[in-house]
This record gives sequence, structure tokens and C-alpha cells, in this order.
Amino acid sequence: MIDIKFNKRLLVVWLVLASLTLAYLWIDHSLAGTPRASAVITSSVIVIALVKVRIIFREFMEVRQAPALLCRLTDAWVVLMAVALLGCYFIGRTA
Amino acid sequence: MTDLVDKSKPARFVPGQPDMWAFVLFETLVFTAYFGFYLFYRARSPELFLHSQAQLDLRIGVFNTLVLLLSSWSVARCVQSSRAGAYRAALRDVFITAAFAAVFLLLKVFEWARLVRMGNGLDSNDFFTYYFFLTGIHFVHLLIGFVVLGVVVYQLRSPARREQELQENIETCATYWHTVDFLWVLIFALLYVVR
Repeated sequence: MIDIKFNKRLLVVWLVLASLTLAYLWIDHSLAGTPRASAVITSSVIVIALVKVRIIFREFMEVRQAPALLCRLTDAWVVLMAVALLGCYFIGRTA
Repeated sequence: MTDLVDKSKPARFVPGQPDMWAFVLFETLVFTAYFGFYLFYRARSPELFLHSQAQLDLRIGVFNTLVLLLSSWSVARCVQSSRAGAYRAALRDVFITAAFAAVFLLLKVFEWARLVRMGNGLDSNDFFTYYFFLTGIHFVHLLIGFVVLGVVVYQLRSPARREQELQENIETCATYWHTVDFLWVLIFALLYVVR
């Protein structure tokens, strides 16, 4: 039976992703239970989620070791999502 | 001399089949469109969305996200184990992944039941239409993920496996699994946390 070394990098990646997830609890706590619309909170939450998506692309999905085309394509997709999500939100606010 | 390999720079490769990447990018675009509509309507009627969102339990959402991230980590380990030829370890990682996914699904059903008992349904209001639609479609993706994990188990157990093909298939399946994970990361942020 072949045994492989424990990959610490993947553990660190998970810890970072988990910390970013737990940051949402802190954001929610800082609002102290008052439900109020906030563009700052919404934008921050979307940016944090997209940072997590990029980390999943790069580390878990091994895009980090992929040809430059796939790296650029996935990065472009993250930017596209950011523009689309924030754009729709802010257009909805002014409509 | 042509077969000299620079050990400091590992060869770059596309993980899995390129077709799966085309699917991932297409699927992401489709979900981005759903999210765009949701955020547009949310920004137009913030009071309704805030009031309905207050009925969700953020702690369940956070827990489920951590569980799904654990499953992704496990699949990533499976890919690496299989690449190193440690097929038994890879098989173990697939079963761990399936166990985390099962926890996610059970909690999701529990959460749906709780919300329905509170009187919410697909046609209650705009927020819950999006909530049940997005979580429902994600649930279906995760169920397909179980079939995908089954393919990985079959491949790892097949005595007639050809290593190159086996590794490519496992990477393809893992790419699908991570996509289901990052789509949840976005769904969770948009339904539970944005204001």
C-alpha cells in the first residue's frame, strides 16, 4: 500500500476558506440584529464570496498548476461575476 | 537530451477533461444570471427581502458551508492520492466526501422543513421563490455529484484501470464537485448574508 504525505497546503487553504466563512458571522453580529439594507455590507459580502471562489479555483481545482489560458479564463470569470452581481445590485437600487 | 525535465518547474496541465471546464464556465454563467436577477429585485424591494431573510438561520448556513468546504478538501486529497498511486487512500477520501455531502443534504432538508412549517413556500414571496429555487437547483447538482462520486469509486476499484485515463476521469469528477461547492459559497452569501 502506497502512503502519501499529508498535504499541509490543502489544510491551510481550507482554514482560510473557513475563516472567510466565519467572517460572515462577525459581519452579522456587528449589525446587532437590526435588519437594514446596506450597500457596503452587500458589496463586502459579495467580494468575500468571490475571493473564496477564486481560492477554490486556484487551489482545490488546481488552476494554479494549469496552463496560463485556464488561469486567465477563470480569473476573467471571477471579474465577470463581480461586475454582473454588483452591477445588478446597484442598478436595482437606482431603478 | 530532449527528455530532460526541469524538476523545479512542474509541467502545467489542465486538470481533467477540457469539456468539463467548458461545462463549469457555462454553468457559472447561468448561475450568475440567476444571482443577477435576485440582486436586482432584492435592491428594488429591500424591506421584503430583509424581513424574509430574517427567518433563515445563519448558523445553519455557516455550518453547511464549512461541511461542503470539508468535502471539497477531501476530493482535492483524493485527486492527489490517486495521482501518487495511493488508490486505497483515494477511495477513503471519496467516502469521506460522500459522508460530508450527506450531512449537507440532511441539514438542507431539515432547514426546508423548518421554513415550510413556519408557513413559507415557493410562492410565498419573491425572496422565498429565489431561496427555494436556488437551494433546490443546487440540491439537484449535489445529487448528481453522488453519481459522479460513484464513478470515482468504480474507477478506483476497477482492476483494468489505465492510469492516465483513470487520473483524468478522477480530476474531471473532482472539478464538478468543486463547482458544486463554489456555487454554494455564492448562494450562501447571497441568500443568508447580504443586506
